[in-house]
Amino acid sequence: MAGLSYTSINQTRMATGEVYCQTLIELAKENPRIVALTADLGKSSKIGEFMKQFPERFYQFGIAEQNMMGAAAGMAKAGTTHHSTEDIAIMRSLANLTVIVPADGIETANAVEAAVEHEGPVYIRINRGYDQQVYETMDYGYEIGRAVTLHEGSDVTIIACGSAVFQALQAARELDAVYQIKARVLDMHTIKPLDKAAVLKAVKDTRRIITAEDHTVIGGLGGAVAEVIAESGMATAFRRLGLQDKFSPIGLHEDLMAHHGIDTNGIVNSVRELMQLDFEEDLDWEDEV
Amino acid sequence: MATKDDRYAAAIFFNAVLPLVREIAERTPLKKAFANKSGVLQISATDEDKMWATHFVLEDGVFTTKLGAATDPDVELRFPNLAHFNAFFRGTTKKLPKIRGFTKLSLLVPFLRTLLKMQKLLGSDDIPADEETKELMTRLYFYLLSSGISQLNKQGHPAIVDWVKMSPNRIYAWSVDGHEDVAAHLRIQAGKSKAMRGPYTRSQPFFKMRFDRLTRRWRFCSEKAI
Repeated sequence: MAGLSYTSINQTRMATGEVYCQTLIELAKENPRIVALTADLGKSSKIGEFMKQFPERFYQFGIAEQNMMGAAAGMAKAGTTHHSTEDIAIMRSLANLTVIVPADGIETANAVEAAVEHEGPVYIRINRGYDQQVYETMDYGYEIGRAVTLHEGSDVTIIACGSAVFQALQAARELDAVYQIKARVLDMHTIKPLDKAAVLKAVKDTRRIITAEDHTVIGGLGGAVAEVIAESGMATAFRRLGLQDKFSPIGLHEDLMAHHGIDTNGIVNSVRELMQLDFEEDLDWEDEV
Repeated sequence: MATKDDRYAAAIFFNAVLPLVREIAERTPLKKAFANKSGVLQISATDEDKMWATHFVLEDGVFTTKLGAATDPDVELRFPNLAHFNAFFRGTTKKLPKIRGFTKLSLLVPFLRTLLKMQKLLGSDDIPADEETKELMTRLYFYLLSSGISQLNKQGHPAIVDWVKMSPNRIYAWSVDGHEDVAAHLRIQAGKSKAMRGPYTRSQPFFKMRFDRLTRRWRFCSEKAI
């Protein structure tokens, strides 16, 4: 490729910034996806030469580096950039802040009403657009910090929040109808303070727990539930469904839920895998006599 | 030649019913007859080239149940085939098996009395008057339920095998309120099964048949509802 062969002699004659800019220019001639951004550093970073050759692909942000990095990240994703997949973890870590992730519009209304009455700051996380409807009415006993049992079961408990609640409920119905697996579903709308009693009861009753959230599994609902289980000292088969320490691709919400294994099929598959785990390794299969 | 049904029945008698001998020997007045005695007591039957057997190792009056044959039992009831063995324990024949142990009558006699007591208890639909016998009979039925189902699975009974093969890790339990140790449970998972005695306490069983009193058990096992 012409122009890309820089020797040690070239480097002694050109500033590193110039090498960087020339390389970009050569590549940009063949690749229209290459753009340049700068924060009022066109001259010192030598990227100004790029502006002369490709003015329509050059972006001057002024003295606003953070803004530039955000825009760069958005451009790199080449599409919708509004994935808030770490906010629960961040908000949970702030002292005295209540964190609520409603399952649907009706629960959002309940959460807002409860937040007004609540002493102290409240963070309510809602989705863009429409959520699948979980509740028919507001009168189901919504209370901050108290999980709602939407489906009873004794084989496994699916603890979900936000848009994953509907998927968990659908999964529980399918598990029962197709595989005769009885799944309890908890709508854990309040991530902080978490309903520890509901988690511990689920551990005691079902000994298998799956969390589902449209958020990274690190520090979110899954992390919060894991903390409660670990501190209880009780043995549990446990899985966290959500973003597994990675950024989300671009797509429709439903498609992204499927991609990350938190749609109905993904939850069903995870439950079935969990049900086959032998969590009593010491067990032999000889009848007691 | 033994049929499949003969073998299913034999598996239940050898591996689920005969182990109840220990409960009767240790929880009834027969306990005195075994006190301070030691020896090996066995029941066996021949099935073509295979020998079915259950034996009890008695050490100073304490029973240990072992499935399978002992090499040199002190007392033995030996049946020539499974059909004879099954018929004898069903009570449809009085033809005796070959008996070994006439030189050790102090072991043979209480052992035979224990077998007769077990036959009487398991064959009766009547509700006993005393609390101890009610408790013992309920315990025997619970143990028999869990062991019998597990044995049918292990012997390849098609209906049981199909059910167990499809199952995730699940517990089925039987218990009576106010009698904590009168309980049994069965674990099944992906083709495997295990019968266990006593209550299951590690989590909520998938299925629990819980009776509010001892006599309720008869409602399910006979027409003598209480």
